[in-house]
Amino acid sequence: MPLNKKLQKFSATVRSVELGTGDKTTTLGGSNTYPFYTFDNPTTNTAKIGIEISDLGLAEEPDCMKEFYAGCETVVDMAKKAVTVEGADFLVLKLIGGDPNGENKSIEELVETAKSVADAVDFPLVVEGCKNVEKDSQLLPKVAEALQGKNVLLMSAKEENYKNIGAAAGLAYDQLLGAESAVDINLAKQLNVLIKQLGVDVGKVVMNVGSAAAGYGFDYCISTLDRVKGAALGQSDDSLLMPIITPVADETWSVKEASASEEDVPEWGSVVERAIDMEITTAVACLSCGSDAVILKHPTSIAAVASMIKALV
Amino acid sequence: MTLFDRVFNGSDAVYGLTEGAINAAIEKHGADKEVSFPNTAYSLPCYYGVTGTKVTNLGELKDALGVAKSLMTREKRLNDAFMSGVATALCAEFIEVLKYIDGAEPYSEPCYGHLADAVIRELGVPLVTGDIPGVAVILGKAPTADDAAALVKSYQAQGILVTLVGDVIDQCAEKGVNMGAGVRVIPLGKDVTAVIHVVSVAIRAALIFGNVAPGDAGALMKYTFERVPAFVNAFAPLDDVVVACGAGAIALGFPVITNETENIFRVPKSLIVQEDVSKFNATSLEARDIKIKITDINIPVAFASAFEGEIIRRKNMQVEFDGSRVDCFELVQTKDASEIEDHKIEVIGPDFDEFEFGSKHSIAYIVEVAGKSMQSDFESVFERKFHSYINCIEGVMHTGQRDMIRVRISDTAFQAGFRAKHIGEVLYAKIKNDFDAVVDKCQVKIYTDAEKVTELRHSLAIPAFNKRDDRLKSLTDESVDVYYSCILCQAFSPSHVCVVTPERLGLCGAVSWLDAKATNELEPTGPCQVITKERVIDERIGEYEDVNEAVKKFSNGALEDVSLYSIMEKPMTSCGCFECICGIEPFSNGVIIANREYAGMTPLGMTFPELASMTGGGVQTPGFMGHGKHFIASKKFMKAEGGIERIVWMPKDLKEQVAERLNATAKELYGIDNFTDMVGDETIAEDPETLLEFLTEKGHPALGMEPMM
Repeated sequence: MPLNKKLQKFSATVRSVELGTGDKTTTLGGSNTYPFYTFDNPTTNTAKIGIEISDLGLAEEPDCMKEFYAGCETVVDMAKKAVTVEGADFLVLKLIGGDPNGENKSIEELVETAKSVADAVDFPLVVEGCKNVEKDSQLLPKVAEALQGKNVLLMSAKEENYKNIGAAAGLAYDQLLGAESAVDINLAKQLNVLIKQLGVDVGKVVMNVGSAAAGYGFDYCISTLDRVKGAALGQSDDSLLMPIITPVADETWSVKEASASEEDVPEWGSVVERAIDMEITTAVACLSCGSDAVILKHPTSIAAVASMIKALV
Repeated sequence: MTLFDRVFNGSDAVYGLTEGAINAAIEKHGADKEVSFPNTAYSLPCYYGVTGTKVTNLGELKDALGVAKSLMTREKRLNDAFMSGVATALCAEFIEVLKYIDGAEPYSEPCYGHLADAVIRELGVPLVTGDIPGVAVILGKAPTADDAAALVKSYQAQGILVTLVGDVIDQCAEKGVNMGAGVRVIPLGKDVTAVIHVVSVAIRAALIFGNVAPGDAGALMKYTFERVPAFVNAFAPLDDVVVACGAGAIALGFPVITNETENIFRVPKSLIVQEDVSKFNATSLEARDIKIKITDINIPVAFASAFEGEIIRRKNMQVEFDGSRVDCFELVQTKDASEIEDHKIEVIGPDFDEFEFGSKHSIAYIVEVAGKSMQSDFESVFERKFHSYINCIEGVMHTGQRDMIRVRISDTAFQAGFRAKHIGEVLYAKIKNDFDAVVDKCQVKIYTDAEKVTELRHSLAIPAFNKRDDRLKSLTDESVDVYYSCILCQAFSPSHVCVVTPERLGLCGAVSWLDAKATNELEPTGPCQVITKERVIDERIGEYEDVNEAVKKFSNGALEDVSLYSIMEKPMTSCGCFECICGIEPFSNGVIIANREYAGMTPLGMTFPELASMTGGGVQTPGFMGHGKHFIASKKFMKAEGGIERIVWMPKDLKEQVAERLNATAKELYGIDNFTDMVGDETIAEDPETLLEFLTEKGHPALGMEPMM
């Protein structure tokens, strides 16, 4: 009996969002099938990978990252090295140092860091805040202002501060806006609606619908990705058709599987391998459930995930 | 002279001046001489915004003047006056741009004149977010310098951006008012034409933040009306030029408030005469619908949810108000805006210092609110929050509601200076902040005069409560036009949707139809959305096409159809936070109900958690449903299967809680007295056989009914 292929065609397509300027742009989104369902429709744009560094440099990085960035004196040096990593499509600069409960760096200093990185590398750039809602609501607008014309993605606007960040990034300074919600399709949708009502062009919005390390409440994350993608494509839900970006490294490098030393748990084997495995496992799961881009840290993970993407499309 | 005459005269005068100035400039510099404002990509922003044309030299400016002239139509219609006003503003812009010829710097400290694009991008963000709640344009000369300074400072204290034009700048300087963009007081210039520099801000805001296409005048005015919360305060005397400019402001949606009384014509919401300059602030905010966020509650003790559970013992009690012993009540009343002075707090009767330590007294607090979207249905929703508001005050305890309240003030709170008016401050601040979508103005009256409280309780409070109860009783599924969705629980129960109707509250018991309605009004993009009920499919089980469409949409396609009144056919789903579960009991043709607090066994052989595992998760399970306690006595309770007559068993506690209302419904529907006496509980039976014996002995009506399956 011949095999009758039944194709699942959707009328909706996830929006394509261009990050960066000139030759070095990368496109997020643009798919109209479930992830890697190339048999339903050929994939025109593949999932993308970001490589992350932070304004804190190497101070709090694990040894394997110190080794990789050996010889880098400044954050700018690290940025230059990061963009050479095979498989990385964009650079992510995290301004963790701004956290009032941490180093509490001034906004001017952080903006200066962001500016020097943006000027030093000709590569699509994502700038993440320090995750303190109040600080980010002041910091990210200033970053948006300083990086005018670079078409960077600012992460993230949340329900509490979407107006400040959305108005600055989306309206005043014409950048891209990341909308972050906590693993709930309705919260994601509501935030997108609010951002739209603010007047921001929805074609410039990228979502982070929540992330977790595999095994750490990850099922919530997965089912949210799955449902968002399903509603976006299946119901052509305009307020969910933004591409999804998922910060993976942020979650995976701090869990015990990735950080417990070999002296403490010799039976678990090499700490570097474990950390990389966690990162790859989580990233692959996110990509196969709906993320259009993931943010990773280690070059080995990036190479592995990039080769998987390449093999599947 | 009519208002039209004044606008037209002013507009003609400005046109004449502009024409003269442009001609003189062309004569001096030639028609090819470049004209521009510094640091803007928007040419002459007002002219560019309205017409879509960029002006680069004097010759083009002359052409532009012709376009402005064409707007100055002279029919005596409102639109002619408005467009003449806009044209006057354009002329002002032309006059101002001439000042900048050859890179001149026509403005010097403290005046700013033209503002750069960068300033607008920077101010635009707080304007969009509401951190700058409004923009005041103050024009002319205040009656006294003190009046000018007081007015400017009142706006400054509210975070409102103030721009100054004319003599008011000198008046403020005289009084030492700190001015500059950093403190949000921007003196523009002393000529009346300098007002264009703030109009230019509004126009560029529309182009930058509103994505309005230059030349789309309709979209431009819509944007400035809806999104730029500006208003004008113009001091008397107003000459025709100012009146003409004012018409332009009104065309952009900015109301003009003035103390001029000569030759002025009041236009509701647009041209407002307020003779008392000290009331300019309040009048302006009301006219422009500007609401100021309250960040600090002005009380001498702390206010935080940490104090919500605080208990005040008798020995630490400075004074007590106890509604079970003396007359007390709390009440929200909707009033007309004109009856309310915002933030007025009145104490009628003795204050706490006049009471003996540990004594018991009467108290009543009435919160009067007004707002365009306020509905009297919300009164009880606000009132229910009072318990939490007052409890959050450090050293104050509150229990009960309506006229059965008890409030205790601790000795330490009293010593810290806590007095009656501070209750008003808390209620005012919380109501204004939490319900800002519907409350525009709010004032509080606190009565501690016992006689007055007694009188008001009977003349005002009790009738109001009775009226509300009657309204609740009359609220039936048939008497309303819409129901509401509630998808608050979708975070953990992704496909569940509650359809909240007047007779069927949310299954958690926390969301009644009125709550859902208020939530929808307060948070229009939130979890409670309107569901229409126009296309009935089956009256008996309560199925509607529009309800089905809504359920499908809100469950993201997981559910296709749902009935409101049946437990067997397409029952409503459950998330997991139901107060009660109702399940079919096959031996008696009835149903049993178990509440969450009940830890024992039910005649179905399942405990509450076991029943819950079958019922939750947003799936339809015929024969089982989750619901709120209040629903048990509803006439719509599984109406399709015969209604409450089917109830054969409930835990004793639950039975006692609902007995009064359930018996009343049973009496009304079936003429049965003391229905709950026929309903089993755990003291009678925990297994179906014993239960059946009991029901047979009592002659329970379910036994004679059709089998449910």
